[in-house]
Amino acid sequence: MTAILTEGLTKNFGDLCAVEGLDLSVDKEIFGLLGPNGSGKTTTVLMLTTLLAQTKGSASICGHDTRLDPEKVRDCISYVPQDMAVDTNLTGRENMLIFAWLYGIPNPKDKVDELLAVMELSDRADDLAKTYSGGMRRRLELAEALVHEPEVIFLDEPTIGLDVAARRNIWTHIRKMTRKGMTIFMTTHYMDEADQYCDRVGIISRGKIAALGTPSTLKAHLMKDVITVTIEGDYAPVQLDGSMFVGQSDDSISFTVENGREALPLLADALKQSGNRVKAMSLREPSLDDVFLQSVGKQEEPKGFEEFKFHMMLHRRH
Amino acid sequence: MKGVTTYIYRDFIRWIRYRVGVISSLVLPAAWLLFVGLALPVTFTGNYLDFITPGILVMTILTAGISSGSLLMFDKILGFLNKFLAMPVPRESILVSKILFISIRGLIQATIILLIAVLIGATLLNPLQYGLIYLILFLFGVFISAFSTTIALYLNDHDSFAAFTAMVTMPLFFTSSALMPYSSMPTWLSAIAHVNPLSFAIDAIRDVGAGSIPVVSIVLLLVFTTIVAVLAGYVFRKATV
Repeated sequence: MTAILTEGLTKNFGDLCAVEGLDLSVDKEIFGLLGPNGSGKTTTVLMLTTLLAQTKGSASICGHDTRLDPEKVRDCISYVPQDMAVDTNLTGRENMLIFAWLYGIPNPKDKVDELLAVMELSDRADDLAKTYSGGMRRRLELAEALVHEPEVIFLDEPTIGLDVAARRNIWTHIRKMTRKGMTIFMTTHYMDEADQYCDRVGIISRGKIAALGTPSTLKAHLMKDVITVTIEGDYAPVQLDGSMFVGQSDDSISFTVENGREALPLLADALKQSGNRVKAMSLREPSLDDVFLQSVGKQEEPKGFEEFKFHMMLHRRH
Repeated sequence: MKGVTTYIYRDFIRWIRYRVGVISSLVLPAAWLLFVGLALPVTFTGNYLDFITPGILVMTILTAGISSGSLLMFDKILGFLNKFLAMPVPRESILVSKILFISIRGLIQATIILLIAVLIGATLLNPLQYGLIYLILFLFGVFISAFSTTIALYLNDHDSFAAFTAMVTMPLFFTSSALMPYSSMPTWLSAIAHVNPLSFAIDAIRDVGAGSIPVVSIVLLLVFTTIVAVLAGYVFRKATV
């Protein structure tokens, strides 16, 4: 059973098309939905979590249709919005217990203790959540989301506003969850995080998927690596499969290659065999940022669209 | 049901922890009772305290209930509502819990007022009469909290909502039969007071105090409360999907 499956999922707000014909299949992995502000990330998550009705198309979570069987969908998902909604006048434990009771799980107290330990919150469990740092609040929310052992977790910008150490910590925990067979569907702005931690990413631009795949294939397909070689003396041409001579300026020569890490030693050998004296070689791999910019294209800052549309979206979103 | 009690528990703890809010919600009605009930040189009736107490009780439920529509609105603005809506708990239990929490909290305040009223000289009633008073106040509490929650969901903006409640509360109170009997009112005021929902609850409580059982008033209150509650359910469903 595929954890998340969408077919032609579309959402219009008036004549603004927020998401257009989304076809996705996500299962037992960390899937990152990347996109500039206003590209339809949150709208997609809201539709998948049964919080927003689509205009067209369909989505199913663990085999249950989000419109026809919303209760069953809600049974197997957790949703952590980006707002950091934690009751700050309640202790961490009280926050957790409320979720445990709402999900009606057996032995709520034991489960809460267990999850607080997993998220390294045990020693602060009885302090009011207002004394927690941003990273701790996020971990508390993750613990809440795990209370009923969901199959799919939706995280909207899970690391936004956290410092580097807290972000790394949150990611360690998210990776742990997938090892237990959970599916994580997340949105993020941080390309480096998506590159490092997501199994697959989808780049969404103006409501449409512009690129989809593992971070490394996306980088390999869309952008070639660039190898720059510094030589001494004249350049003796070389032929190497998969590499292309780009140009020479003074004593540095550039090639593009399919896979830079593998091509680097091969190119070095080939250059030597043709009688070149190599002084230095450098490799620049494209980052997910490059992929993002290339697939999203030149992105203008979202223009202030008409106010009534803004209000309409606010009404639906909050 | 588990959902409703858990949501009520959550709101209750949050209310208790917010100490200034608790104190103010108890001091305010007590101040009204003391200043208006004891200090005003009024000679409408024999025991003005017995006359004014039902008015203060209903006003307390009104002020406690009308501003509480913001509870659900804040859950919505701060992202809690989306979390709760994505849970397998029946969605209506969120609305039901808010209405019940606000009504029950109003009854706690009403209890304080009843205690103080007796302490400073109001007539002690029998248990059945107190039971009926609580029933009327509860129905009125559900009426007001369902009404204010509906308005809050509809306006969807805290400033507009605060302006709305400020605009509604005082006129409603002063055009009701809370402070003076119909016979002492100018004709225009008496006409308004007769159709004011507040007078409706106040008169019913006065009837109870006088020894009768206001069956018609209670049934009518039940009907109005049901209508507003159904309307709240409708607006809630529209606002959530």
